[in-house]
Amino acid sequence: MTLDIKLALLAGLILLAGVIALIWKLKTGNAKKVSGDHVVDIAELAATKNGKPVTKLTTRVTFLQFSTDFCTFCPPTAKMLSTLEKSDPNVTHLEVNVTERLDLVKKYNILQTPTTLVLDQKGTIISRIGGTPKAHTLVTEIGNFDI
Amino acid sequence: MATQIDPRGPRFGATITNVLSAIIFYEALDKNTESIGAALFGVAAALFLIGTVFGTSKHPFGWLFRTLVKPRLSAPKETEDSRPPQFAQAVGLFVSVVGLALYFAQVPYGLAIAAGALFLASALQAYVGFCLGCQMYLGLKRLGVFKG
Repeated sequence: MTLDIKLALLAGLILLAGVIALIWKLKTGNAKKVSGDHVVDIAELAATKNGKPVTKLTTRVTFLQFSTDFCTFCPPTAKMLSTLEKSDPNVTHLEVNVTERLDLVKKYNILQTPTTLVLDQKGTIISRIGGTPKAHTLVTEIGNFDI
Repeated sequence: MATQIDPRGPRFGATITNVLSAIIFYEALDKNTESIGAALFGVAAALFLIGTVFGTSKHPFGWLFRTLVKPRLSAPKETEDSRPPQFAQAVGLFVSVVGLALYFAQVPYGLAIAAGALFLASALQAYVGFCLGCQMYLGLKRLGVFKG
Protein backbone atom coordinates (compact mmCIF):
# COMPACT_ATOMS: atom_id res chain seq x y z
CA MET A 1 0.00 0.00 0.00
CA THR A 2 1.36 3.44 -0.80
CA LEU A 3 2.12 6.02 1.85
CA ASP A 4 -0.67 8.28 0.61
CA ILE A 5 -3.36 5.63 0.96
CA LYS A 6 -2.11 4.61 4.40
CA LEU A 7 -2.12 8.19 5.64
CA ALA A 8 -5.56 8.77 4.13
CA LEU A 9 -6.93 5.69 5.92
CA LEU A 10 -5.39 6.81 9.21
CA ALA A 11 -6.87 10.28 8.76
CA GLY A 12 -10.24 8.70 7.93
CA LEU A 13 -10.12 6.63 11.10
CA ILE A 14 -9.35 9.69 13.23
CA LEU A 15 -12.16 11.60 11.52
CA LEU A 16 -14.57 8.70 12.13
CA ALA A 17 -13.70 8.73 15.86
CA GLY A 18 -14.34 12.47 15.92
CA VAL A 19 -17.72 12.12 14.21
CA ILE A 20 -18.83 9.30 16.54
CA ALA A 21 -17.73 11.32 19.58
CA LEU A 22 -19.60 14.39 18.34
CA ILE A 23 -22.82 12.48 17.58
CA TRP A 24 -22.66 10.82 20.98
CA LYS A 25 -22.11 14.17 22.73
CA LEU A 26 -25.10 15.67 20.92
CA LYS A 27 -27.46 12.74 21.47
CA THR A 28 -26.63 11.68 25.01
CA GLY A 29 -28.72 13.07 27.84
CA ASN A 30 -31.62 14.26 25.70
CA ALA A 31 -35.20 13.34 26.53
CA LYS A 32 -37.37 11.36 24.15
CA LYS A 33 -41.16 11.54 24.51
CA VAL A 34 -42.80 8.21 25.23
CA SER A 35 -46.28 7.93 23.73
CA GLY A 36 -48.95 5.49 24.80
CA ASP A 37 -49.90 4.78 28.37
CA HIS A 38 -46.99 2.76 29.70
CA VAL A 39 -47.33 2.60 33.45
CA VAL A 40 -44.41 1.41 35.56
CA ASP A 41 -45.19 -1.29 38.10
CA ILE A 42 -43.62 0.38 41.13
CA ALA A 43 -43.66 -2.69 43.40
CA GLU A 44 -41.87 -4.77 40.78
CA LEU A 45 -38.90 -2.37 40.83
CA ALA A 46 -38.21 -3.27 44.47
CA ALA A 47 -36.71 0.19 44.82
CA THR A 48 -35.77 1.53 48.23
CA LYS A 49 -35.63 5.08 49.46
CA ASN A 50 -33.83 5.91 52.70
CA GLY A 51 -33.81 2.18 53.49
CA LYS A 52 -37.57 1.76 53.05
CA PRO A 53 -39.24 -0.04 50.13
CA VAL A 54 -41.02 2.27 47.69
CA THR A 55 -44.60 1.16 46.96
CA LYS A 56 -46.11 4.30 45.46
CA LEU A 57 -45.09 7.60 43.98
CA THR A 58 -45.64 10.62 46.18
CA THR A 59 -44.54 13.55 44.02
CA ARG A 60 -45.75 15.01 40.73
CA VAL A 61 -42.51 14.09 38.97
CA THR A 62 -40.30 11.04 39.49
CA PHE A 63 -36.95 10.44 37.84
CA LEU A 64 -36.49 6.68 37.78
CA GLN A 65 -32.83 5.96 37.09
CA PHE A 66 -31.63 2.51 36.01
CA SER A 67 -27.98 1.80 36.83
CA THR A 68 -25.52 -1.08 36.80
CA ASP A 69 -22.30 -1.81 38.67
CA PHE A 70 -20.34 -1.36 35.44
CA CYS A 71 -21.48 2.14 34.67
CA THR A 72 -19.19 5.15 34.65
CA PHE A 73 -21.85 7.84 34.44
CA CYS A 74 -24.36 6.36 36.91
CA PRO A 75 -22.96 7.81 40.17
CA PRO A 76 -22.65 11.38 38.80
CA THR A 77 -26.19 11.08 37.36
CA ALA A 78 -27.52 9.91 40.73
CA LYS A 79 -25.81 12.84 42.41
CA MET A 80 -27.32 15.28 39.91
CA LEU A 81 -30.86 13.89 40.31
CA SER A 82 -30.75 13.71 44.10
CA THR A 83 -29.58 17.33 44.22
CA LEU A 84 -32.60 18.19 42.09
CA GLU A 85 -34.85 16.22 44.44
CA LYS A 86 -33.57 18.20 47.42
CA SER A 87 -34.14 21.54 45.73
CA ASP A 88 -37.59 20.79 44.27
CA PRO A 89 -40.37 19.35 46.47
CA ASN A 90 -42.24 18.11 43.38
CA VAL A 91 -39.42 15.79 42.38
CA THR A 92 -38.39 12.33 43.55
CA HIS A 93 -35.30 10.46 42.44
CA LEU A 94 -35.42 6.66 42.45
CA GLU A 95 -32.43 4.54 41.50
CA VAL A 96 -32.70 0.86 40.62
CA ASN A 97 -29.60 -1.28 40.10
CA VAL A 98 -30.39 -3.61 37.21
CA THR A 99 -27.08 -5.50 37.16
CA GLU A 100 -28.96 -8.59 38.36
CA ARG A 101 -32.41 -7.58 37.09
CA LEU A 102 -32.47 -8.80 33.52
CA ASP A 103 -36.28 -8.90 33.75
CA LEU A 104 -36.38 -5.10 34.10
CA VAL A 105 -33.68 -4.63 31.45
CA LYS A 106 -35.86 -6.54 28.97
CA LYS A 107 -39.17 -5.05 30.05
CA TYR A 108 -38.01 -1.45 29.75
CA ASN A 109 -35.67 -2.18 26.84
CA ILE A 110 -32.65 -0.68 28.59
CA LEU A 111 -29.77 -0.55 26.13
CA GLN A 112 -27.48 1.67 28.15
CA THR A 113 -27.04 2.88 31.68
CA PRO A 114 -27.86 5.28 33.06
CA THR A 115 -31.31 5.30 31.49
CA THR A 116 -33.74 7.60 33.28
CA LEU A 117 -37.52 7.43 32.91
CA VAL A 118 -39.55 10.52 33.70
CA LEU A 119 -42.75 9.43 35.45
CA ASP A 120 -45.88 11.27 36.52
CA GLN A 121 -47.48 10.52 39.86
CA LYS A 122 -49.44 7.57 38.46
CA GLY A 123 -46.22 6.04 37.17
CA THR A 124 -46.96 6.77 33.51
CA ILE A 125 -43.76 7.05 31.49
CA ILE A 126 -43.66 10.58 30.06
CA SER A 127 -40.20 10.44 28.54
CA ARG A 128 -36.93 8.63 28.55
CA ILE A 129 -33.37 9.98 28.91
CA GLY A 130 -30.43 7.85 27.77
CA GLY A 131 -27.04 8.71 29.29
CA THR A 132 -26.17 11.49 31.72
CA PRO A 133 -29.10 13.92 31.51
CA LYS A 134 -28.22 17.40 30.30
CA ALA A 135 -29.13 20.05 32.87
CA HIS A 136 -31.50 21.86 30.49
CA THR A 137 -33.21 18.54 29.64
CA LEU A 138 -34.22 18.14 33.28
CA VAL A 139 -35.46 21.73 33.52
CA THR A 140 -37.58 21.26 30.39
CA GLU A 141 -38.97 17.94 31.60
CA ILE A 142 -40.08 19.42 34.93
CA GLY A 143 -41.41 22.47 33.09
CA ASN A 144 -43.67 20.22 30.97
CA PHE A 145 -45.59 19.28 34.11
CA ASP A 146 -47.07 22.78 34.58
CA ILE A 147 -46.36 22.77 38.27
CA MET B 1 -14.90 -5.84 45.37
CA ALA B 2 -15.60 -2.23 44.58
CA THR B 3 -12.81 0.24 45.17
CA GLN B 4 -12.98 3.86 44.13
CA ILE B 5 -10.45 5.21 41.66
CA ASP B 6 -9.64 8.53 40.03
CA PRO B 7 -11.57 8.45 36.69
CA ARG B 8 -8.78 10.40 35.02
CA GLY B 9 -6.51 7.35 35.40
CA PRO B 10 -8.33 5.15 32.85
CA ARG B 11 -8.70 8.12 30.52
CA PHE B 12 -4.96 8.72 30.65
CA GLY B 13 -4.37 5.03 29.94
CA ALA B 14 -6.85 5.14 27.06
CA THR B 15 -4.92 8.03 25.52
CA ILE B 16 -1.75 5.91 25.38
CA THR B 17 -3.75 2.94 24.07
CA ASN B 18 -5.22 5.26 21.46
CA VAL B 19 -1.81 6.33 20.15
CA LEU B 20 -0.58 2.73 20.26
CA SER B 21 -3.60 1.48 18.29
CA ALA B 22 -3.10 4.22 15.67
CA ILE B 23 0.49 3.00 15.18
CA ILE B 24 -0.66 -0.64 14.97
CA PHE B 25 -3.35 0.33 12.46
CA TYR B 26 -0.80 2.16 10.31
CA GLU B 27 1.76 -0.64 10.40
CA ALA B 28 -0.91 -3.29 9.76
CA LEU B 29 -1.92 -1.68 6.47
CA ASP B 30 1.31 -2.72 4.80
CA LYS B 31 2.36 -6.34 4.24
CA ASN B 32 6.00 -5.38 4.93
CA THR B 33 5.30 -3.84 8.31
CA GLU B 34 2.33 -5.96 9.37
CA SER B 35 4.51 -8.10 11.64
CA ILE B 36 5.55 -4.96 13.60
CA GLY B 37 1.86 -4.19 14.07
CA ALA B 38 1.22 -7.75 15.24
CA ALA B 39 4.09 -7.56 17.74
CA LEU B 40 2.74 -4.26 19.12
CA PHE B 41 -0.73 -5.81 19.30
CA GLY B 42 0.83 -8.60 21.37
CA VAL B 43 2.15 -5.93 23.75
CA ALA B 44 -1.32 -4.33 23.91
CA ALA B 45 -2.90 -7.74 24.63
CA ALA B 46 -0.42 -8.37 27.46
CA LEU B 47 -1.23 -4.94 28.95
CA PHE B 48 -4.98 -5.63 28.70
CA LEU B 49 -4.43 -8.97 30.42
CA ILE B 50 -2.75 -7.20 33.35
CA GLY B 51 -5.63 -4.70 33.47
CA THR B 52 -8.26 -7.45 33.29
CA VAL B 53 -6.75 -9.59 36.02
CA PHE B 54 -5.38 -6.98 38.43
CA GLY B 55 -7.43 -3.86 37.62
CA THR B 56 -6.43 -0.59 36.00
CA SER B 57 -4.58 0.74 39.05
CA LYS B 58 -2.07 -2.15 38.87
CA HIS B 59 -1.71 -1.62 35.13
CA PRO B 60 1.59 0.00 34.01
CA PHE B 61 -0.34 2.98 32.60
CA GLY B 62 -2.10 3.29 35.98
CA TRP B 63 1.29 3.36 37.64
CA LEU B 64 2.52 5.99 35.17
CA PHE B 65 -0.58 8.07 35.93
CA ARG B 66 -0.02 7.87 39.68
CA THR B 67 3.68 8.68 39.63
CA LEU B 68 3.92 11.17 36.76
CA VAL B 69 0.51 12.75 36.13
CA LYS B 70 -1.54 12.70 39.30
CA PRO B 71 0.93 14.67 41.48
CA ARG B 72 0.56 17.53 38.99
CA LEU B 73 -3.25 17.53 39.04
CA SER B 74 -5.69 18.87 41.61
CA ALA B 75 -7.66 16.38 43.70
CA PRO B 76 -10.34 14.56 41.69
CA LYS B 77 -13.83 16.10 41.81
CA GLU B 78 -15.32 12.64 41.93
CA THR B 79 -14.16 9.06 41.99
CA GLU B 80 -15.53 6.09 40.09
CA ASP B 81 -16.02 2.40 40.68
CA SER B 82 -12.99 0.39 39.59
CA ARG B 83 -15.10 -2.35 37.97
CA PRO B 84 -16.29 -0.63 34.77
CA PRO B 85 -12.75 0.23 33.57
CA GLN B 86 -11.60 -3.25 34.53
CA PHE B 87 -14.40 -4.72 32.46
CA ALA B 88 -13.37 -2.46 29.57
CA GLN B 89 -9.86 -3.92 29.83
CA ALA B 90 -11.38 -7.36 29.27
CA VAL B 91 -13.14 -6.07 26.15
CA GLY B 92 -9.80 -4.63 24.96
CA LEU B 93 -8.15 -7.99 25.58
CA PHE B 94 -10.86 -9.70 23.56
CA VAL B 95 -10.38 -7.29 20.63
CA SER B 96 -6.57 -7.78 20.66
CA VAL B 97 -6.90 -11.58 20.77
CA VAL B 98 -9.33 -11.47 17.83
CA GLY B 99 -6.93 -9.17 15.94
CA LEU B 100 -3.98 -11.50 16.52
CA ALA B 101 -6.06 -14.55 15.58
CA LEU B 102 -7.03 -12.87 12.30
CA TYR B 103 -3.36 -12.05 11.69
CA PHE B 104 -2.20 -15.60 12.24
CA ALA B 105 -5.08 -16.90 10.09
CA GLN B 106 -3.72 -14.52 7.42
CA VAL B 107 -7.05 -12.78 6.96
CA PRO B 108 -6.30 -9.72 4.79
CA TYR B 109 -6.45 -6.52 6.88
CA GLY B 110 -7.85 -8.44 9.86
CA LEU B 111 -5.19 -6.91 12.09
CA ALA B 112 -5.88 -3.41 10.74
CA ILE B 113 -9.64 -3.75 11.32
CA ALA B 114 -9.15 -4.93 14.92
CA ALA B 115 -6.64 -2.10 15.52
CA GLY B 116 -9.16 0.35 14.02
CA ALA B 117 -11.88 -0.89 16.41
CA LEU B 118 -9.47 -0.50 19.34
CA PHE B 119 -8.61 2.99 18.12
CA LEU B 120 -12.28 4.06 18.02
CA ALA B 121 -13.06 2.62 21.47
CA SER B 122 -9.98 4.14 23.14
CA ALA B 123 -10.54 7.50 21.40
CA LEU B 124 -14.07 7.73 22.83
CA GLN B 125 -12.82 6.81 26.29
CA ALA B 126 -9.86 9.18 26.17
CA TYR B 127 -11.45 12.28 24.67
CA VAL B 128 -15.09 12.26 25.74
CA GLY B 129 -15.01 9.80 28.65
CA PHE B 130 -17.39 7.42 26.92
CA CYS B 131 -16.53 3.89 28.02
CA LEU B 132 -17.65 1.57 25.22
CA GLY B 133 -16.70 -1.55 27.17
CA CYS B 134 -18.85 -0.45 30.10
CA GLN B 135 -21.68 0.39 27.75
CA MET B 136 -21.53 -3.07 26.20
CA TYR B 137 -22.01 -4.78 29.54
CA LEU B 138 -25.82 -4.76 29.48
CA GLY B 139 -25.96 -5.64 25.79
CA LEU B 140 -23.71 -8.65 26.22
CA LYS B 141 -25.62 -9.74 29.27
CA ARG B 142 -28.92 -9.47 27.41
CA LEU B 143 -27.53 -11.63 24.66
CA GLY B 144 -26.60 -14.15 27.35
CA VAL B 145 -22.89 -13.97 26.48
CA PHE B 146 -22.07 -14.16 30.15
CA LYS B 147 -23.75 -14.29 33.51
CA GLY B 148 -22.89 -11.22 35.58
